[in-house]
Amino acid sequence: MTDPVGIAPLPAVAADPVSLYVHVPFCISKCAYCDFYSRAGGEALRGPFVDAALFEAGHWSHYDLLDDVPSLYIGGGTPTLLGQDLVRLVRGLIETARLRPGAEVTVETNPETTDAALVAALIEAGVNRFSLGVQSFDDDVLRRLGRCHDAERGRAATRILRDSGASFSIDLICGVRGQSAASWEATLQEAVRCGARHVSVYPLAVEDGTPLDASIRSGVVPAPDPDDAADMMLAAEVVLTAAGMPRYEVASYAQPGHEARHNLVYWTGGSYLGVGPHAASMLTAEQYGRVAGAEGWATPPSSDPLCARARFTREASLEDYVRRPLADPGPVEFLDTDEVAREDATLGLRTVGGISTAQAEAAQAVETLAGLAEQGLVRVVESETGEARWSTTQQGWLLGNRVFEAVWTGGGTQRS
Amino acid sequence: MTDPTLIRNFSIIAHIDHGKSTLADRVLQLTHTIEDRDMVEQVLDSMDIERERGITIKAQAVRVLYTADDGVEYTLNLIDTPGHVDFTYEVSRSLQACEGALLVVDATQGVEAQTVANAIMAMNAHLEIIPLINKIDLPSADAERVRHEIEEALAIPADEAVLASGKTGEGVRDALEAVVRLVPHPVGDPHAPLKALIFDSYFDAYRGVIALIRVVDGHINAGMRVSLMAAGTAIDVEEVGVRRPVHVPVDRLGVGEVGYLVTGLKDTSLVKVGDTVTLAKHGATEPLPGYREVKPMVYTGLFPIDGDQYPELRDALDKLRLNDPSVIYEPESSHALGFGFRCGFLGLLHMEIIKERLEREFDLDLLATAPSVEYHVYTTNGEMISIHSPQDMPDPGTVDHIEEPYLKVTILVPPEFVGAIMELTELHRSTFVNMQYLSATTVEMHYEMPLSELIMDFFDQLKSRTRGYASLDYEVTGYRTSKLVKLDVLLAGKPVDALSFIVHKDKAFARGKMLTEKLRGIIPRQMFEVPIQAAIGGKIIARETVRAMRKDVIAKCYGGDISRKRKLLEKQKKGKKRMKQVGTIEVPQEAFMAILKVDD
Repeated sequence: MTDPVGIAPLPAVAADPVSLYVHVPFCISKCAYCDFYSRAGGEALRGPFVDAALFEAGHWSHYDLLDDVPSLYIGGGTPTLLGQDLVRLVRGLIETARLRPGAEVTVETNPETTDAALVAALIEAGVNRFSLGVQSFDDDVLRRLGRCHDAERGRAATRILRDSGASFSIDLICGVRGQSAASWEATLQEAVRCGARHVSVYPLAVEDGTPLDASIRSGVVPAPDPDDAADMMLAAEVVLTAAGMPRYEVASYAQPGHEARHNLVYWTGGSYLGVGPHAASMLTAEQYGRVAGAEGWATPPSSDPLCARARFTREASLEDYVRRPLADPGPVEFLDTDEVAREDATLGLRTVGGISTAQAEAAQAVETLAGLAEQGLVRVVESETGEARWSTTQQGWLLGNRVFEAVWTGGGTQRS
Repeated sequence: MTDPTLIRNFSIIAHIDHGKSTLADRVLQLTHTIEDRDMVEQVLDSMDIERERGITIKAQAVRVLYTADDGVEYTLNLIDTPGHVDFTYEVSRSLQACEGALLVVDATQGVEAQTVANAIMAMNAHLEIIPLINKIDLPSADAERVRHEIEEALAIPADEAVLASGKTGEGVRDALEAVVRLVPHPVGDPHAPLKALIFDSYFDAYRGVIALIRVVDGHINAGMRVSLMAAGTAIDVEEVGVRRPVHVPVDRLGVGEVGYLVTGLKDTSLVKVGDTVTLAKHGATEPLPGYREVKPMVYTGLFPIDGDQYPELRDALDKLRLNDPSVIYEPESSHALGFGFRCGFLGLLHMEIIKERLEREFDLDLLATAPSVEYHVYTTNGEMISIHSPQDMPDPGTVDHIEEPYLKVTILVPPEFVGAIMELTELHRSTFVNMQYLSATTVEMHYEMPLSELIMDFFDQLKSRTRGYASLDYEVTGYRTSKLVKLDVLLAGKPVDALSFIVHKDKAFARGKMLTEKLRGIIPRQMFEVPIQAAIGGKIIARETVRAMRKDVIAKCYGGDISRKRKLLEKQKKGKKRMKQVGTIEVPQEAFMAILKVDD
C-alpha cells in the first residue's frame, strides 16, 4: 500500500493560465452506463462540428484567454471516430491557441477507433498523450457494460499506442455485477503489462437517466455491489502500486511524472475553457468579466463583490452548436471566495497530496477535518518539504463522499 | 330570541366519505347563508387539514333561515360533527344539542360501521333520524339496496328516505322539508334557571375561549355571571351570538337556541365539552347528563429532530392545546432522542393530525415514537401504576401483573371477506364474540380486542385485506390482565429506549425477530458494523447486523462533473439531516415506527 507520508504535493497549476478542453460528441454506439453528451452516428455533422469547434476556439483567443495554454485535452465521446477531421481539429487548435512549451496534449480514444496511421498523424500534429477506454480485458465484463469492442481489440489498441511511443493511459471499470475477483485481477495484470503509464480505476457508477439506471430500476439487472467495488479498488491499489504506478488521486494511478496534468487543473482550481456542446468552463472572475462584458452574458450579482470564479456549461444540442457555436451559456454559477476555498479543499482532498493547513483554514474546515480524522478518513502528514498537510487515508479513498460532503457543506460531520 | 316552535336543531351524521360536508355546503347555499360567489368547498371544515383529508375534526354550528313549503320561515341550526371514531364523545355531545339527525348513507357504499355507530348514538340521544341516501347521481348508485340495508341493519324505516346528491344539489330541499316536518322543535322551560350544554369550544386570539352552546332552559345574555358546573369556574358573559357562519351578536339566547358564548377565559381546558352552563347564583342544581372527562387513548413521544427546537415544540403544543384541550402532554426525555414530550391523543387519527399540524403550522420537524396505550401495572406490593410509555415500565421483578385496555370492536364487511377478517383478528389477539348478517351484502362481526393491537397497523391491514370494503368501529370496555413484557432494542450493543415496546409474551419472540429484520432494512449502512438486537429483560432473543459501509465515493470528477457532483453531496447531506443521530448511528425516522408494520 502507498503511504502518503513523504509524497510531494503535486505541482499546483497557477490559477491564471487557461487550459483548453474540447468535447467531441460522437460515438460508434452509446454504452449502457455512460451519461456524457454524445451521439451514436451523426456522420454528416462531424465535419461541421470541427469547423464550429475551431471557430469557437478562435473566438476565445480574441479575449487573450488562450495565450499560455498548459494543457489541451480532446475528450468525448470518441474523438478518434473523427479520423482525419480530428487531425484537422488538433492542427487548427494548436494554431489558434498558444500552447506553453512542453504542454500536455491529450486525445481520448476507444479501442475500435485506435488506428496506427491515425495515431501517427495525431502525434505528428502535436498530440503527446492518449487516454484509451479499455474498461476491461474480459469479454464478459465488456458485454455487460454494453461496450462495442472485445478484449482482443482492446489489447490491439494498447499495442498500437505502446508502439507509437506516446505516453498513454487506460481506463478500467470495476464493481460490475458478474465481474469476479479473478477477472479483475487478470485485467489489472494485463493493465500493468500493456505499456500504459497511467491507469484510471472507476467503480461502476449508476448515473441518472442512463440505460443502466433504467434496467436497475426495472429490476432487469441488480445494482452494483459496493462491497465488491471496495474489494476491487483495494486490489487495484496493490497491483498498480507494485507495478510502479502509485495512486495520486481517488481513481488515478501513474508512474511518477505521468500524472494527467489536465485533470490536475480540475482538482487544483485552475481555469479551463470548454469548447463544444455541453463542455464546462471555469474562469476567474476577472477572466469571465472580460468575456461577459463583451458578449452581454450574465454578470455576477452586484451584491456579491467577492465573486471569485464563474462556471458555465453551454447546453446546446449538437445541431444547435454546429449552427451557432457562440450561443450564450446556460445559467452561470458564480462562486465567492468562501465557496472557492471550500471547493478547492474538497477537490484537493481527492489527491494524495491533500491540502495545506493554510488551505484548510481558508476553507474553515479545520474542525471538520479533525472530526474526519477521528473517524480515520483523513490525517495530517508531513510533506517532503516538511509542511503539514491534510491527506485522505486508505479508508478515506473508499468513503470519499464522507470527506467531500463534510468539507464542502462546511462541517456537520458526525463526531463520535 | 326565537320562538322555540320555529327552531329545528339537527345534525348530519355519516360514515367517513359519505358526503356529509358537501351536503352541508348545499344547505348553506340553498338557504342563502353563503352566496354562491363566496362558496368554497366544505365551508364548515375550516382547517386546511380538514379540507385536504376530507374529514371533519372540529364540530361546527351554523344558523340558517329556511322558508318552508308552508310559507313559514324556520330557524335551522345545523351542527356538523366530527366524522371519526376517535371523536366519539365529542359527537355524542353534539348530538345531545339536537332533536334530529340526517343520517347520510352513500348510495354506492351502503351502510358502513360508522353509519351504524352514529345511528346508534343518535338513537341513544333520542333523536328523530331521517335517512338520506346520498350520491344518487353516481352511475353505480343503488338506492334500493341501501334502503333495504338501512331497514335491515338499523331498523329504521327507510321507504321515505330522502334521495339526494350533495354534488348536484338534488333532493337537498326535500331534506330540509323533512327536517321541518319531522324533527321536533326544542322544548324547555324559559322561566327555569339557565341550563346550556357546551358542545365544543375554540380559541380566538383576540377574544379568548369561545364556547358553542345549546340553551336547554332559561336564557343567557351578555353581562350575566354564569358558572361552568363541571369545571367549577365562574365567568362574566362577554357576548352571546349566533354563527351564520360568521359571528353575529344577539341580545340573548333562549330555549332551544344554538349559538356561541364569549367566555373571556384564556385557558381552553376550563371549557369542557359536555359541561353545563348555569347561573352563578341561584343556578340549576343538577347539570345536564352525559358529561365525562375525556381521556386519551393512545400515547406517543414527540421529539424535535433538531434538539434545539425543543422550546419551540413546547410553545407549539401550548398554542395547539388552546384549540384542542383533548391533547395532553408532559416532558419526556430519552437517552436516544433527547428532550421531547409524551403526548396523549384520542386515537390514531387524532395523533396523526396533531403531529401534522405541529409540523405545518409551527414549522417543526418531528419524530414520533411508536404509539402506546395506558397500561395498568400492579406491583408486588399492591400498588397500581399507570404507564404511558414503555420506558416507564418498572423492573419485571417488582411486577405482579399488568392490565391493558380492551375494546369491543365492530366490523362491517361483505360476506366474502369474513375469512380474511377471521385471519386478521386471529393475528391480533382478538376474541370472536358473534356475527350477524345485516343484509345479503353486509355482515356485522363483533370482537374483543386489546387496544394495543388495534393501533398495530390493524386499520391499514383491514382495509388492504378487504380491498377497502371493511369498516370499523370500536369502544373501550375496560381493562383486562394480559401477559405482557417489555421488549428492548439494542443498536451496537446499547439499548435505544425510544425503540422499546410492550408486547404479549407469546408474540414477543416473533415480533422481536421481525422487528430486527425490518430495522436491518431501514438503518443505512454506517462506517462501522451495527448489530441490532431484541431483548427481553436482558436476554437477547433476536439479532441482525447492518454491515459496515465500505464504499461511498464519487470516483469520477472532472470539469463537467464538479457542479453536478457537488449538488449530489448536498443532497446526501440533506437526507442525513432528516435522520436522528442515536449515539454514533444515523437512524431514519421510520425506524421508530417500524414496530407498527411488523405483522406476524
